[in-house]
Amino acid sequence: MKRLVSLPFTFALMNWAALAGLYYFITGKKDVWSKSKSSHVHKN
Amino acid sequence: MIETIFWLSFTIVFYVYCGYPVLLVLWRRAAARPVKKRHWEPTVTVVIAAHNERERIERKLQNCLSLDYPSRKRQIIVSLDGSSDGSEFLVWKYVSQGVELVHSRSHAGKAAALNRALKRATGEIIVFADVRQTFDRNAIRELVANFADESVGAVSGELVLMPTDPGRHLQLGQKQEEATTDVGLYWRYEKALRSMESEIHSITGATGAIYAIRRELYKELPQDTILDDVLTPLRIVLQGKRAVFEPEAKAYDAVACCSRGEYGRKVRTLCGNYQLLVQCPLLLMPWRNPVFIQFLSHKVGRLLVPWALVALVVTNLSLHGGVYALTLTLQAAWYAFAIVGYALSRREATEPLVIPDENERAERAA
Repeated sequence: MKRLVSLPFTFALMNWAALAGLYYFITGKKDVWSKSKSSHVHKN
Repeated sequence: MIETIFWLSFTIVFYVYCGYPVLLVLWRRAAARPVKKRHWEPTVTVVIAAHNERERIERKLQNCLSLDYPSRKRQIIVSLDGSSDGSEFLVWKYVSQGVELVHSRSHAGKAAALNRALKRATGEIIVFADVRQTFDRNAIRELVANFADESVGAVSGELVLMPTDPGRHLQLGQKQEEATTDVGLYWRYEKALRSMESEIHSITGATGAIYAIRRELYKELPQDTILDDVLTPLRIVLQGKRAVFEPEAKAYDAVACCSRGEYGRKVRTLCGNYQLLVQCPLLLMPWRNPVFIQFLSHKVGRLLVPWALVALVVTNLSLHGGVYALTLTLQAAWYAFAIVGYALSRREATEPLVIPDENERAERAA
């Protein structure tokens, strides 16, 4: 019974994610680490 | 006109989720290209990019050090990206065991972290790993066996999503049942597609938690890349090599507690798919992309389906009688169930899955 409602919900949510993904892409809000410049290396 | 849009939208949704898998089944039967696997031991570099993973980094390193692969042929590089939680001090404890640390004090992005690590890498084969997931003991051997076939340039392992069950702990080495939640089932469906795509030619994206490439084929990633695990294998496919799926190379993770838990990951993935179309337009050129049909059906199709679903509802509201009354009723019922599912999902709780390391398992056994 639970699956009867959770499956349509999951399907709808995953498709809504595609629309949200487009929004994040267009607005540049991405859920990843962001940019910068410097780095240094520890050598063992 | 409205009818045309309705049926076009229906065709898109039906093809992406049902027609494409059927096409793959038939295509695989007609033209499967098995990989000529052979067990061998090339030099391997395991690359772990991380940002503020103090809680999990030691468990991951212990897991990597315990893998079944000769230590003289294995390099482990941890590339920390602006970590501010002291992760680097934990990694330093493992330097004497051969772990190398590349540490950027400022955020440079995961792609930049991978680029830095690759400059240090010396292995013929690069294995990419995330901190959160745990590798099966023979994962590296199973991945590299595929590279004995010269046509293979990238190999994705299998991410196994285990059920989140309080009080029950995953014991590696024991047979475990994969999660059968909706997210777990969705992931199984995805893996079935990947498996068939792999047998035909190539997958259209690897699993970030466990994939490997030939080092010579790596191209530096643009710094803002969201999906390195899709861009890198597809670039390799564009270079004329295959990217295949190896189900025997397993990494384990806990399934998201609920669909809402999976949502954030999905938004990021689909956002990355849009970026991919901009970063790599060659993928949309059938004369350049050997997996054009697969890419269009699997990746681009998933971006079109939401729009097709909206069009299905909107057009159906203007179409009456006969089959359209039935489709409208079915759509109404589907979304009503989805709303009930949404209400139920708000009650679901999260419980973390604990994957014991070698020492913990030994202690429990004693």
